[in-house]
This record gives sequence, C-alpha cells and structure tokens, in this order.
Amino acid sequence: MKALLPLLVVLLASCTSTTVDEFRQGETGINSDESIVILGRRHSSDYETRAEFVDCVGERMTTGNDSISVIPEKEFVDAMFPWFEPRTAPLRTQDLERLMAEPVVAEKMAEFGVRYMVWLDGFTETSGRTGTISCTVGPGGAGCFGFGSWEDDSTFDARVWDVASLQNVGTISTDASGQSYLPALVIPIPLIARVEANACVRLADQLKQFVNGE
Amino acid sequence: MIFNECMMKNSIRSIAKTLCTAFCALVLASCGVSKVVIEGSYPSPNVAKLPLSLAVVYDEPLRNFSYIEYSETGAEEFNIASGASHVALFDAVLPAMFESVVEAASLEEAESLGVDAIFVPAIDEFQLALPNKTKLDVYEVWIRYNMRLVSGDGAPIADWVLTSYGKTPTESLRTADAAINDAAVVALRDLASSFSLSFAQVPEVRDWLASR
Repeated sequence: MKALLPLLVVLLASCTSTTVDEFRQGETGINSDESIVILGRRHSSDYETRAEFVDCVGERMTTGNDSISVIPEKEFVDAMFPWFEPRTAPLRTQDLERLMAEPVVAEKMAEFGVRYMVWLDGFTETSGRTGTISCTVGPGGAGCFGFGSWEDDSTFDARVWDVASLQNVGTISTDASGQSYLPALVIPIPLIARVEANACVRLADQLKQFVNGE
Repeated sequence: MIFNECMMKNSIRSIAKTLCTAFCALVLASCGVSKVVIEGSYPSPNVAKLPLSLAVVYDEPLRNFSYIEYSETGAEEFNIASGASHVALFDAVLPAMFESVVEAASLEEAESLGVDAIFVPAIDEFQLALPNKTKLDVYEVWIRYNMRLVSGDGAPIADWVLTSYGKTPTESLRTADAAINDAAVVALRDLASSFSLSFAQVPEVRDWLASR
C-alpha cells in the first residue's frame, strides 16, 4: 500500500489532457539570423493573455533542438512604443501592412530582424470548486482536515503572421484541462494539475515545428 | 525574591505593552486608508518629431493629483497619488514628439520664453473599479484629461478631451495596491500612445499646423 502511494500521487498530479490543433495557411521557414516575437492579446474587456504564459512559450521555443531566437515581449513592445499597445496593436494583417508603412516601425522591425509575429490569445478558467477544508490552531498544535477539488481549463490560440509577406500563415490552438485535488489530513497535500504549464509546453513545441516549416 | 518577582512583572508588562501596541497598529493599519503612489517607467514614443518648440506647464492640481476611493460604508479606502507619475510620463513623451521642449512654472513664464506653442495638460476625472465592487476579475482605471494648447503669446489654439483606460487581472499573490498601480501604469501608457498618435489629428491643431 505504501509503495502505491507515490504512484497514486503522480497519477493524480498529472491528470491533465491537452489537445493541439494546427491550421496551416502558408509555407514557413526561418533563417538563423531571423527572430520571432510572441505577443499577448490584451484588447478584450473581460480577460487578457497573461504575460507569464507568453514568456513561458517564448522560453520553451528558445531551448532544445531547432531552437528559435525569440524577442522578449516587453523589450519589443517598449521599443515599438506606442504601436503595440492594447488599443493600437494591429488586429489583422491588413493593419500590420498599414503599420509597416510607417518608416519608424519598419526600421525598428528590421533592426530586430523579426520574421514572424505570433499573437497569443487565451486564458485559463477555474470552475467546479467543491469541498471544504478547515484548519485549527490550538495549544497542542495545528492541523487541517477536509478535501477540496477544482477544474482548470486553458484555451489558447496562436496566430502566426509572416512579417515578410504580411500574411497570416497559420493558427495553432491548444486546449488543456485537468482536475486538481487538495486533501488535508493534518497537513494539506496539494495535487495540482499543471494545466497552463502543459498548454505552454505543447503549444511551444508545435509552434517551433510550425515556424521551422516541419 | 521580591525584587525578582517585581522584575518579572515588569518584563511581562513590557511584553504585553509591546504586543498591545503591535496589535493596535495592525488594527489601525487594516482599517486605515491605503496610500498608493503610482510608479512606472514610460518609454519614449517612436513617432516623427514635429518641428515645433514647446513649453509645458504642469500646474499644481496636476502635480499633486490624487484620487480617493471610498468603501461602501463611506470610509476612505485607497488614496491614489498619480501627479508625479503624470509629470514623468509627459517628460518622456513630449521630447520625442517635438523638436524642443522646455518646462515653465506658469503660463506667464511660458509666454516669455518665445516658444511656438504652450501645452497645459490637466486631469478632469479619475475612476477606479475594484473587483469586489464590479464582481469582475480585473482592476480598472479610467482617466479623462483636458488638453490645452495655446500659441507662444497665449492665444488659444486647441482645447480637447482625451481618455485613457488600463486594466490588470486579479492574481492570488498580488496585493490590491500593486494591482491598482499596474492598472494605472497601463492607463498612463494608453494616454501616451493615444496622445502621441492623435495630437496632429486634433482638428484645431491640424489647422494650426497647416497654417504655419
């Protein structure tokens, strides 16, 4: 029974399912002197793509085989200020075409060597919170008892724009969901489903293959 | 023996006093207004410079601007000071938009500098939306400005309204003060972006630029 406990913990903690869909609209490929920039969409009124998720995808793409040079989001947005702010950022490739007509924008873009612009749009939602945990502190010590669980669902889209041809070359969608548990028997034991982290890894790996033209 | 007892009583009293002071301070701190001084860094905009010399006047209401958010019971909840941050923002934005920029203490002083135009920004209204009131998972800041441009000799050129908006999502390990600061910085960046991109499109400014 004791030997099964770690296995059970691992099974519960890794209870996440992830789906990745790719829709290709054009040829891709990148030279060693070219870079990509990954930007989060923040124009929606009720949510915004977290900067941490954007950083996670970027960091994953710069590591391992066929790694790609990724310009950090904040560095790019600050250098391009005020053209990539939530209210001014291009929403369609036609807007990017208009933006590239501005000499200051085209110049900065060439300086960075940006070949592809990736727009990440999505969020992680927590639902189905159930159970209760109560903690008490007394002269003899402290302890928590109870059980809680919730479900996380991450949905992210990555639209890839080719800055050279000013075309949308494809979209990669990721949907990850998982159930997290928090049993507490004196001490709480969190068994967290790494939903957003899994979505990041799968999306980054797919995106890397897509940009490399594989 | 009596001496030791006395000393013990004194030290217990001293500990009790310290604990009581700490507890009272904690209670007062949790009930009092939370002061938020907006702090952020603002990049210079990449826009074509207008061939104009400009004087800017930051008047006292702008420099010392602060907004007080009241709780539902009418108590002061947040005191948000953004005057210094607004000055820092304009100091970053204006030199990138105009050939030369000089700061003046008053309109009269600015008129004596022999510049092409004088710019006087002012905050008309500041609004804060907190998640516990809106039931949304975001902190929101909305600001309305009154921008005034007069010629070097004080004749009015343009007077227009500009709004800016910033939001930041709630996060488990982020305090309300930090979230309000982040939302305000987004709103200030929004102001800088719309001001720098729309300045020459304001009809009165456009006509004045065309007539020069």
